[in-house]
Amino acid sequence: MGTGITIKGLVKRFGDKTIIDHVSFDIAVGELVCLLGPSGCGKTTTLRCIAGLEAPEEGRIEINGQPVFDSEAKLTVEPYRRNAGMVFQSYAIWPHLSVFENVAFPLRVRRAPNAEVETRTMRALAMVGLADFRTRSAQQLSGGQQQRVAVARAIVYEPDVLLFDEPLSNLDARLRDATRAEIRRLQRELNVAAVYVTHDQAEALSLADRILVMSEGRIHQAGTPQEIYAAPRDAFVADVVGATNFLDIAVHTIGDTTVQGVAPDGALVRATGHMTAPGPARVMVRPDRLRIAADSGDQGGENCMYGTVRQRLFLGGHYEYAVTVGPTTLRAFSPVEVAEGGRVAVSFAASDCIVLETKDAS
Amino acid sequence: MSASDTAVDLRPPARGSSATAIRAIFIATFTITAFLIVTPLAALLYGSFRTGGPGTNATYTLSNWQGLLEPSILDTLLTTLFISVATSLFSSAFGGAMAWLTYRTDFRFKRALVAAIGLSFFFPGFILAMAWVILGSPGGVLNGFLSGVLGIDSEPFDIYSVGGIIWIQVLHITPFAFFTLRGPLSSMDASLEEAAYASGANPWQVARRVTMPLMIFPLMSSLLLCFVLSVEQFAVPAMVGIPGHVNTLATELYLLISFSPPNTGLAAAVGLAMSAVTGLSIFVQRRVVHRRNAPTVTGKGYRLHMLQLGRSRGLAEVLCLLYALLSFIIPSIALLYTSAIKFFVANPFEAAWTWRNYNQIWESPGTIRSLVNTLIVAGGGAVLGLALGTLIAYSTHRLKPRGFRALDVLASLPFGIPGIVIGLGFLWSYVWLPIYGTLWVLVFCYVARFLPYATETVGAQIVQLDRALEEAAWTSGASRIASFRRIMLPLLRPALQSGYFLLFIAYFREIAAAALIYTSKTEVLSISIWSFFENANWGVASALSVVTTVITVSLMVAMTRAPLKL
Repeated sequence: MGTGITIKGLVKRFGDKTIIDHVSFDIAVGELVCLLGPSGCGKTTTLRCIAGLEAPEEGRIEINGQPVFDSEAKLTVEPYRRNAGMVFQSYAIWPHLSVFENVAFPLRVRRAPNAEVETRTMRALAMVGLADFRTRSAQQLSGGQQQRVAVARAIVYEPDVLLFDEPLSNLDARLRDATRAEIRRLQRELNVAAVYVTHDQAEALSLADRILVMSEGRIHQAGTPQEIYAAPRDAFVADVVGATNFLDIAVHTIGDTTVQGVAPDGALVRATGHMTAPGPARVMVRPDRLRIAADSGDQGGENCMYGTVRQRLFLGGHYEYAVTVGPTTLRAFSPVEVAEGGRVAVSFAASDCIVLETKDAS
Repeated sequence: MSASDTAVDLRPPARGSSATAIRAIFIATFTITAFLIVTPLAALLYGSFRTGGPGTNATYTLSNWQGLLEPSILDTLLTTLFISVATSLFSSAFGGAMAWLTYRTDFRFKRALVAAIGLSFFFPGFILAMAWVILGSPGGVLNGFLSGVLGIDSEPFDIYSVGGIIWIQVLHITPFAFFTLRGPLSSMDASLEEAAYASGANPWQVARRVTMPLMIFPLMSSLLLCFVLSVEQFAVPAMVGIPGHVNTLATELYLLISFSPPNTGLAAAVGLAMSAVTGLSIFVQRRVVHRRNAPTVTGKGYRLHMLQLGRSRGLAEVLCLLYALLSFIIPSIALLYTSAIKFFVANPFEAAWTWRNYNQIWESPGTIRSLVNTLIVAGGGAVLGLALGTLIAYSTHRLKPRGFRALDVLASLPFGIPGIVIGLGFLWSYVWLPIYGTLWVLVFCYVARFLPYATETVGAQIVQLDRALEEAAWTSGASRIASFRRIMLPLLRPALQSGYFLLFIAYFREIAAAALIYTSKTEVLSISIWSFFENANWGVASALSVVTTVITVSLMVAMTRAPLKL
């Protein structure tokens, strides 16, 4: 079985720039954890440190209970002894080998007998749906097929851990969706710990058991996709995980679980969250949580704002609205149809309006 | 994947190379490279401060360096500069013009022209010089033609002159300029010229006002390269300049050594001075190449507008044909002719035809040994040179251990050092090395001289390979050495193949580096041809030249046709 991955106090510097700043996290066996963040946040470097392709300055990394890096004990295990399966962003399929030999390579390097090589390789190829491709030259494959060969190669020797470096970013959108589901299914079937690096929020939300949102070498927030989406810690996390609206309100009343304040257009707003003292606060509401209704003149109350539809895009299942409310523009997804230029009432529940830590507060 | 069929241990192999083995290989590579390149340079530096040669009773002195300022040496320096500047200007002009004709106009015989330029590129320089001596010396074919057919007895052609040296060098070096300039010319951004056409400029104006200025940096690069190639040239000034009492630095160096008593100290100073000139030029050229500020490379794939030459096209075609004739067709005919006659006469109708010269090659043990030596040095030496070049390229582009930048600099030094100077350096080193008088000193000298060819050829391919290809091998369980063997080497095969051919051809026909370090037992073909020539045995010299050229050209054809399968 095994214990998955343990990372403690990882630090990686490049010159005077700190790429990874004291990162720690654990991944249980069978768990898929996404490292999500913008470019330069350190997620790929963290992955490569686990694989052994980068040498951290400080920290401790354990795979399956075995330390593979320990800066205090001056221990580094070479990448070819870590038993990690890695899928590269460029797939890195070897052009001079056939599909079969590409996938069989890890077994050949381990001096497995030919019968074993045959069985295991064909099984891995079947798992990714490429059993008929064994004699094809690697150069004759499409992007999606290359990607599947890369995955087959990473799993053929039953690694202790799977590492994915933005494996879908070079595929077109439709192929991406299909392959996403495949990767998830495979990882579940193999029941290995997996680290998945991506900058795409949809991938992270749909694939991960847990998401680690990273920025500037640090983990901003860790949690399940639902937690991250519904209760982001701050504006950065909120923005990274999905489209969102921000409102700056002046809070005058603090309750047990909610606060009350006034929005820039004068509307009364109740938001979920904690504050220490009344003052300015930033709240967020997801566009899909805003209810749009034509302004009939007689709605009111808290969490209801009035504005004009500045732009409307039809997306098939719903409309995407840009509504000007006072000085702010709110994005809303709604099936309700209102013409551009029309007056609308935008309302939301207090539980959908989250207080974020403002820059001054944190 | 159940536990029951885990008959094989799927954990990664416990054995395998460690970081120390890699470090050891790097240190070995570094040491060998340093030995090959620093030894001759250090020896020269040492020798330039000595009053006498290695092994003599000599003391330290500054007189060699002061000797550089002697009028005769300064004179030689000026002559060299004059010749090289003229050569570089003409070669770049002709090479650039032919590249422009090929890639930017509606010239009709493009493939033939490129093939012809390729053939002149591979035609060995000293053989070209020989052929032109046969053609252009007093008593040679051209003067004989004038006298016998046109009745002009004044013998106006004299190849033994500054003009003769420039003539032959330009013919020989123009292909280098062509290959340097064709890249930038053919990858220019078409829209820059199209904008000029749209503004109303005619094609010649566009060529002058838009194309030319954009090509300033490539042109500068070409000028510098041709300049260096000309300064380095030994064979042409040796065959053509010495009889005409025209000295360049290269031949001056040679004469200082071959006269009795040899002035090895002054030769060392001259050699270092030469290297300073060529080294500085190469250094500047590299800076220029990196500063290509013209927006030349375009990703858009618009086809470049081909200029219509109109009435000038015929003239251009004739001129290019003339180049091909002068650079290898007529010289080849002259050599074939001379190799097949008993005594040299300018008039073929008076000649006595014979196979004797060719027979003499096979019957002479000295010549056979020379041929064998050349094959050993070229065939075996190229393997060593390629292996070393590959190790260096892999270290500097991939491994990047501590000290790799120093290795990179070391390995690129030979670019700026003339062949004859490296030869002199190895001559000076023999005191410490017991290899003098063996083929090994030739092999070492050649490997050092042409090391950049190997490192650049292999390096260019390594850089193109995705780093992840090797990283995927490592994460799959292959050690660094196993992944180099299973992944890197197979993917490098095209570069290794062309690198080997390149080195073989270069070693095969090298004369400058060998001129000072050969002995009677270690003579190589280039030296043999030269000896026969100097001894007025034009017949055998030509026959040997024909054999050498056939081998070189066949290899060139094999190299360009070799299937580059992975």
